Amino acid sequence: VQPPEKPLQAEEWNKLRESFRSPEIFEEVMFNNMVRCNSPIDVAKSLLTHVAKSNGDVTYNLLVKYLALCVQQGQTSEIRDVYDIMKIRFKILESGAYNLLIKGLSNSDQWRMALTLLEEVKKIMIPSRTNYESCIKAASRHQEMNLAFELYHEMLAKDLVPTLDVLQAFFDFCRGMKGAELQKELFGILLYLRDNQIYPHKTFMRSIKLWFESIPGENWRTRLTNIKDSGLCPVCNHQLEDSDLTEAEYNNLRERIIKDVIHGTDTFRKTSPQEFEAFQKFVENRLPFDIVIDGLNVSHLKSRKMQCENLFDAVNCLAKENARLLVLGRKHMLANSSHWKREIMKEMQNKADFFFAENISEDDAFLLYATLQSGKHCKFVTRDFLRDHKACLSDSKTRHLFRKWQRGHQIALIYCVKSKKVFLSVFIQQPALRYDCVVQTTGDTWHIPYKDTFDEKYSYQVPRKWLCIQQK
Amino acid sequence: MQSANVLLKRIVRSSVLPFAAQHGIKKDLFPLSRTLSLSLCLKQDNSCNPSEKLDLDAWKKVMRSGLQEEVSETVSESKELSALAAAREILEMWRLAGRAVPENISEEQLKTFMECPSKSAKKKYLKYLHLKELYKKNDKRKVEEKRERRLETKEQASETHETKKTSFVCLWASAMDRAYNWRVAQSMVFGQPLVFDMSYEKDMSFREVANTVRQLVLSESCNRRSVDPFHIHFCNFKDDSLYHKEFIKHYKEAWSKLLITVTDQCYTEVFPKEKLIYLTADSPRVMKTFDHDKIYIVGSMVDKSIKTGVSLARAKRLGLETAALPLEKYLLWNTGAKNLTLDQMMHILLTLKDTGDWKKALEFVPKRKYCGFVNKPVHELKKTLNLINTLKLGKRQEEVLKQFAKNYSKKLTQK
Repeated sequence: VQPPEKPLQAEEWNKLRESFRSPEIFEEVMFNNMVRCNSPIDVAKSLLTHVAKSNGDVTYNLLVKYLALCVQQGQTSEIRDVYDIMKIRFKILESGAYNLLIKGLSNSDQWRMALTLLEEVKKIMIPSRTNYESCIKAASRHQEMNLAFELYHEMLAKDLVPTLDVLQAFFDFCRGMKGAELQKELFGILLYLRDNQIYPHKTFMRSIKLWFESIPGENWRTRLTNIKDSGLCPVCNHQLEDSDLTEAEYNNLRERIIKDVIHGTDTFRKTSPQEFEAFQKFVENRLPFDIVIDGLNVSHLKSRKMQCENLFDAVNCLAKENARLLVLGRKHMLANSSHWKREIMKEMQNKADFFFAENISEDDAFLLYATLQSGKHCKFVTRDFLRDHKACLSDSKTRHLFRKWQRGHQIALIYCVKSKKVFLSVFIQQPALRYDCVVQTTGDTWHIPYKDTFDEKYSYQVPRKWLCIQQK
Repeated sequence: MQSANVLLKRIVRSSVLPFAAQHGIKKDLFPLSRTLSLSLCLKQDNSCNPSEKLDLDAWKKVMRSGLQEEVSETVSESKELSALAAAREILEMWRLAGRAVPENISEEQLKTFMECPSKSAKKKYLKYLHLKELYKKNDKRKVEEKRERRLETKEQASETHETKKTSFVCLWASAMDRAYNWRVAQSMVFGQPLVFDMSYEKDMSFREVANTVRQLVLSESCNRRSVDPFHIHFCNFKDDSLYHKEFIKHYKEAWSKLLITVTDQCYTEVFPKEKLIYLTADSPRVMKTFDHDKIYIVGSMVDKSIKTGVSLARAKRLGLETAALPLEKYLLWNTGAKNLTLDQMMHILLTLKDTGDWKKALEFVPKRKYCGFVNKPVHELKKTLNLINTLKLGKRQEEVLKQFAKNYSKKLTQK
């Protein structure tokens, strides 16, 4: 139903109501449509008056819907009135009403009221991150940066993840402001991005850029750039952090992989204790490897070809300069079949070490173990994103470590046709990144990777564009 | 002229519409040219200008008045709100806001609600309770309606005064029970064992255990009613485990009279290892025929968050043979996980035991999960597909490709 365009009399509402299909929910539907069509507030008021007069009461549900309309149109005095009425009628309010009230009031000149409401919410539940967002934005809009940061830290302490909007707001509203404390806070936000491997999007990056440029008397120079594969910044010639983990991080990751990924809740789910022990012995006798290859993954690179030939090509491609290779596979590869020819398998085994797991075992877990055991220089080859194994890790910090290690050590192979005449195809290596793709600083330089589009969702893609900031 | 038109339209919308709708005239079809009726309405509209008479804030007065006494009460009360009462208040407000929240909630449920670790878990739990309440209410209503109808028919019947003559005393239900029990008792001596592995309790949440037991109850009843029942074993069954508590909830005192074998021993201790086959969807081996000499094991587990490999791991640890149902072979699978509920497994196994007919047995797989039956086994379909492909491409091309691949690998090895 189309809501009317001006206030109606009681009889007129009655008529409308009777003509409606199900009169019991008429008011609700009407209010929903008013919110959708952004009807004038007087129309809603006239309906409320009609309801109040005929029932002697207005239900909470309708009040919230009316509140939504008021918030949508920024009618501050009405929002306050509704709040007063709700407070009289009900002991406590629920989150929906609080969300609306905080949102509505924080955008008005009565934004301090939103803060008191936030305190009220805290008494009955943990406020949502959008509650905090509204309050923080309101405080920073009125230049109360201390208050805004206080709220921000409170939010982090409650394990809420701030929206990128809030973080951006800090940079927007601090533009041109001076103060060591303030600067420290904003650097803190940048380090938060670093710790959680968050990449700002383009508009956020611009806010960061403008803020740096605006700090009075500090002379920051900013440039957008692409980082070379070597990890050298072309603007300031600064070498980015490499992707290696520290000794402690590396050991931690290795232990967690063994504990969470390979053993998990039950060692039998992915392998068996005997098999894992055999593998451990096998690896220890031949350490260290330079490259560990997921044989089955590589063998499926080109489906037209025989699988063992795919693997053969890959091994040949990687077996340069006396690199020590380990190929992981499953036992069924040894049975002479149409895809796995015995002669070719034999030949490969001269060039690389092979380990064949049981057919029902997970070879990926072995891949991770062998690579980590070989040391930091060792790389592994698979197109698999290893998401399921990352998910087995129990805390987000280790997962971040895993991602970082993966970025630095995974080689993906791509098949491509070189010349048109002959069907000669070669593998192209997609190299592991040598530098670490996170927000980073040396004190007088900052390098911030950013996403070009607003929502690049793929977690495996790392941005190639950077913001280079240096102090002259 | 145009502005006048707009004004007309507005008036039509605001005041005539309800009138028109009442008489079944659709809004879009309403002819603007009907000046007669329009002018009539215009007059009406002018006679009472709404904005003059309407007090738009009248509702506020209504809401504020007559509540002053209550306010003083609530203030004193709110000071001594316990955590439980506070949760109850929040629930009440959510209900008023139109969320999926049950009307009545017990103390115990309220506690589980408060123990939920996250907001979404709370929401989910409340929705579950809400739906449960709704179903219960509907069932109750239906029962009452049925009773009324029965009373009505009874009255009619009593008017006619007719009595039926039969040679049997009407004791169908208990007679059937006795017959079923006799059969199950026989199966406990001579029947083929079927093992339910009850060792998954710590892999499941409370609700998953409850669902498991429900499915087991259904399986047991369908086994009891079958022509040739299995001898059901519950192995690895611990007394006063969650399973046990839930079973007591379902069966009450009948639990101790059930004609099944319940033991805390493992199936490997009860039966010879080489006779056991663990049925799991993760098994690489596919079941071809139903073997009457083997003892099949079904894991009593409901996994809502698909935990792959849990039951396969158990079989691997004990070194047992495993098997999966040949679902792919006989059904064109559509959606859903390949793991079936315990009662579906029971139906399938019973049918296999009686007939050995896969098609008949797999009728018990839920229809939403597959598109239809495969007429021929899949490998035959694949053969014809390959045949078509080779005919299409021409056999020669394939040979050339193979030849080339061989040469290429030789070249590489020579390097």
